[in-house]
Amino acid sequence: MAAKGEAWRAALLSALLLAVLLGAWEWAVKGGGGPGGPTVDAELAALLSPAAAAGGQTAMPAPSDIGARLVELLRDPFHQRGTNDQGIGIQIAWSLWRVMAGFLLAAAIAIPLGFVIGMSPLLNAALNPFIQVLRPVSPLAWMPLALYTIKDSNISSIFVIFICSIWPMLLNTAFGVASVRKEWLNVARTLEAGRWRTAMRVILPAAAPTILTGMRISIGIAWLVIVAAEMLVGGTGIGYWVWNQWNNLSIADIVIAILMIGLVGLLLDRALGLVARAVAWQE
Amino acid sequence: MPGMGGAARIVSIEGIARRFPGLTVFQDLWFHVDRGEFVCLVGHSGCGKTTILNILAGLDVPDEGGVLVDGREISGPSLDRAVIFQGHALMPWLSALENVAFAVSCRNPGWDKARVRDAARAALARVGLTQAAERKPAQLSGGMKQRVGIARALAVEPKLLLMDEPFSALDALTRGTLQEEVSRLVTEAGQTAFMITHDVDEAILLADRILLMTNGPEARVAEVVQNTLPRPRARANLHHMPGYHPLRDHIMDFLITRSRTLAGKPPEGWDSRRPPVVVPAEA
Amino acid sequence: MARMFRRDPVLDVCACGVGHPAAFACAPEAPPDGTGEMGRVVNEAALRAAFPNAATRRGLLSLFGAGTLLSALEGVLPLGNVREALAQGTPAAAPEKRDLKIGFIPITCATPIIMADPMGFYRRHGLNVEVIRTAGWAVIRDRAIAREYDAAHMLAPMPVAMSLGVGVANPIPFAVAAIENINGQAITLANKHRDKRNPRDWRGFRFAVPFDFSIHNYLLRAYVAEAGLDPDRDIQIRSVPPPEMVANLRADNIDGFLGPDPFNQRAVFDGVGFIHILTRELWDGHPCCAFAVPRSMITDTPNTYAALLRAIVEATAHSNDPANRVAVAQAIHGPNYLNQPLTVVQQVLTGTFADGLGGVQRVPQRIGFDPYPWHSMAVWILTQMRRWNQLQRDVDWAAVAEQTFLALDAGRAMRDLGLTVPESPMRNETILGRTFDPRQPEAYMASFAIRRN
Ligand SMILES: Nc1ncnc2c1ncn2[C@@H]1O[C@H](COP(=O)(O)OP(=O)(O)O)[C@@H](O)[C@H]1O
Ligand SMILES: [Mg+2]
Repeated sequence: MAAKGEAWRAALLSALLLAVLLGAWEWAVKGGGGPGGPTVDAELAALLSPAAAAGGQTAMPAPSDIGARLVELLRDPFHQRGTNDQGIGIQIAWSLWRVMAGFLLAAAIAIPLGFVIGMSPLLNAALNPFIQVLRPVSPLAWMPLALYTIKDSNISSIFVIFICSIWPMLLNTAFGVASVRKEWLNVARTLEAGRWRTAMRVILPAAAPTILTGMRISIGIAWLVIVAAEMLVGGTGIGYWVWNQWNNLSIADIVIAILMIGLVGLLLDRALGLVARAVAWQE
Repeated sequence: MPGMGGAARIVSIEGIARRFPGLTVFQDLWFHVDRGEFVCLVGHSGCGKTTILNILAGLDVPDEGGVLVDGREISGPSLDRAVIFQGHALMPWLSALENVAFAVSCRNPGWDKARVRDAARAALARVGLTQAAERKPAQLSGGMKQRVGIARALAVEPKLLLMDEPFSALDALTRGTLQEEVSRLVTEAGQTAFMITHDVDEAILLADRILLMTNGPEARVAEVVQNTLPRPRARANLHHMPGYHPLRDHIMDFLITRSRTLAGKPPEGWDSRRPPVVVPAEA
Repeated sequence: MARMFRRDPVLDVCACGVGHPAAFACAPEAPPDGTGEMGRVVNEAALRAAFPNAATRRGLLSLFGAGTLLSALEGVLPLGNVREALAQGTPAAAPEKRDLKIGFIPITCATPIIMADPMGFYRRHGLNVEVIRTAGWAVIRDRAIAREYDAAHMLAPMPVAMSLGVGVANPIPFAVAAIENINGQAITLANKHRDKRNPRDWRGFRFAVPFDFSIHNYLLRAYVAEAGLDPDRDIQIRSVPPPEMVANLRADNIDGFLGPDPFNQRAVFDGVGFIHILTRELWDGHPCCAFAVPRSMITDTPNTYAALLRAIVEATAHSNDPANRVAVAQAIHGPNYLNQPLTVVQQVLTGTFADGLGGVQRVPQRIGFDPYPWHSMAVWILTQMRRWNQLQRDVDWAAVAEQTFLALDAGRAMRDLGLTVPESPMRNETILGRTFDPRQPEAYMASFAIRRN
């Protein structure tokens, strides 16, 4: 009961903070005795933005402008009017597709490889130098190399997702597997469980929470990186959309994109959070 | 008994040694367990008891000598030798039933799911855990967990049951109940068992023979004590049984003084294959 | 350039049996043996391809004669096929590949490449082209190299640099099939510099240009050098993607830029800067962007190349007509192409624009569209690459110009469309008040006090 009341109060406070922030923003942009009408003749005024015609600069959009634009965008989020003009929903879908492809590919390699590394101290020691050198490389630094060797920009961005999401999964899997309790392995051995059965029935569930933590870190990074990668190579995706709106200097769209990126990132994390809950165990 | 016919003999330890860098835990160690017999190994902490049990289980390998089971040298763990670990070693992501079922399915790979579950349920019923079958280990008390461990070990119907201080982590009351339960189960099934313990009363309650080990390093089985107290034995009236006190005093005396004074180099004319056999209860 | 096309062309079927706009002349029947006009073109192209070095080629030609050389080449190259492909009813011989991808940067320089899509010029030549907006020059270059794009909008110096192996790992033979726009760039300065209109006052300024290998970079360098400033020491020049120029100007990260439109106009529109000077006042008729193709396209898919070049030349001519400019602005300003306010694009294309200093200027020639890739332009670009030490070796200026600026092909396409084709691809240019004679590049270079080589 008390906890519930607490949660309500926190939500209320959040909403209040948001309202104050947006209100201040709105006032700062629109309030402060803004410029009146144009100060130049009609012919010139028609060639300039209203702000420039009034002798100023185009300003930061107010929350109300952004809201209006958001409604406009969400009215038809999946429209396709040509190669370069597609709805924000389609762009997000593209980004998600790339993230999923790169991420799943990375998982398909990192988890088995992490398994092997985790079980073999020799391999662990042998591969560790490579991992330690490659891991801290900024994912986008791979992009030119990827473009140069792979040549296909779509596959290149998937590769960049792959390469940036592989490390947390690899290291966490290896760590999780290496720290599986000796006694569980001994149980499996005394039961003559066999390698495959031991891996699937004992090591995997034992390491699953650690692996999932790695996957959550990975998907977070992947989502961060896809935006940057798409800004770099363009074509499709939410990152490209940001670049595109930046190209048009439309700040409202960029703010909306930021919100969307945050929201999708949150959803991705929550989705893996649910999986993590399902495989969690406590002693 | 040394020199007894080979047919009854299920396990023979033949001159095993285990060494770590700078430490010989034991060497030239010989003993055996007969079919249907309950043997306890008693000794101070660090003398090498767990090492011996692990070698018996096949989880560790001796540096010299070997272990014969049914006349054949063992080469690793086997379903013939089930272990009840000191910590319960249950898999926390599996329910009590699933933990047992895992063992059952390892023993009987051909069985279908329903059959495996039925067998697991029956094994849990034997230790009185029908009600708690669906619970995860985290939701079980220490005693209940160890019962699941016992059920799991017995469910594979091993030739030899190995126990490493199985009740040492439990409170006195629970420990008493479980000791009697193990006594009952083992007697009912005619199960051969080898158990390590600290607890003298536990050894007297359960064992047919008690091996007394000197302190390490280079620990020896200094004496083999025959427990002639008649079965069934009950914890409640154990100390009223004739011969109980001499037996107990003999073992206590060994633990308090002789385990220390006999440690180190064996005396002149020592035959490691035939340590002295004593029958204090008849003295 | 005269207006050649009807606004809404009707497809006629003429004697050659292929539908094409009325303005198209049917090609004269070309003999397939290589003796006609078409055959000459192919033969020349084949010789050029086989012996890229002009001196070698000339030497071989004088030794053996063209006939011997060609028959020797015929053994290795399917010249007959190429010749035949070009010869058969040239304007519309079936393209080997119809579905094409062309990358563009969203700037008004790309107008012909872009408007050819909504206004149907590609379709009319039997091509199904997807024009793809791209994030920057390096990206467009890499995608063109990777063949993700069949052809691309590039800065005119880029194919030259790529072919010479400058700024890329290995030389990659690319060519300027046609120039897109002439003029149409400007120097935009931040509003705070309203009273610093003389470049002599620009010491310490930070400028942005779109790319190292761009006419923008070379023009800005030449302009400040003419005023006595060393572009490497007295000012800073950075490569900044055009869209970010306005934002950087606004954030006071740069003092100005020599960049493509619509971003000059956009800076004015947003009240961030003013137009200091249009580049046509620096070099009237300077090339800016190019329609670039990999050289392999010419031999691998000659019909596609020919059709595409025709479409581009036609679109370029159409874009150049002042009467079409408003319609073109309407066709390309939207989110699928430039993604800019209509008024901004329209001011650039019509030349009636706010200059950011409170005035409205009327300069209809602010931007022009002329496909002809003058070799003299290429030679000037080479002199500047050499002058600023981007190119660290001496090259055969004329030969490189000939290989990378395909005046012959563009001229042929122009002739087919009834446009006037210059007699020679070399002409004297007037650049920043000096006469540049492309036949005397060394003398021109030597005349500069400020240079890096
Ligand atoms: N892996 C090991 N490395 C080195 N020494 C060990 C190792 N395992 C056990 N020992 C040593 O062997 C001796 C016997 O250990 P253990 O069998 O666990 O004794 P107990 O079970 O009788 O308490 C101890 O002195 C212990 O320190
Ligand atoms: Mg121990």
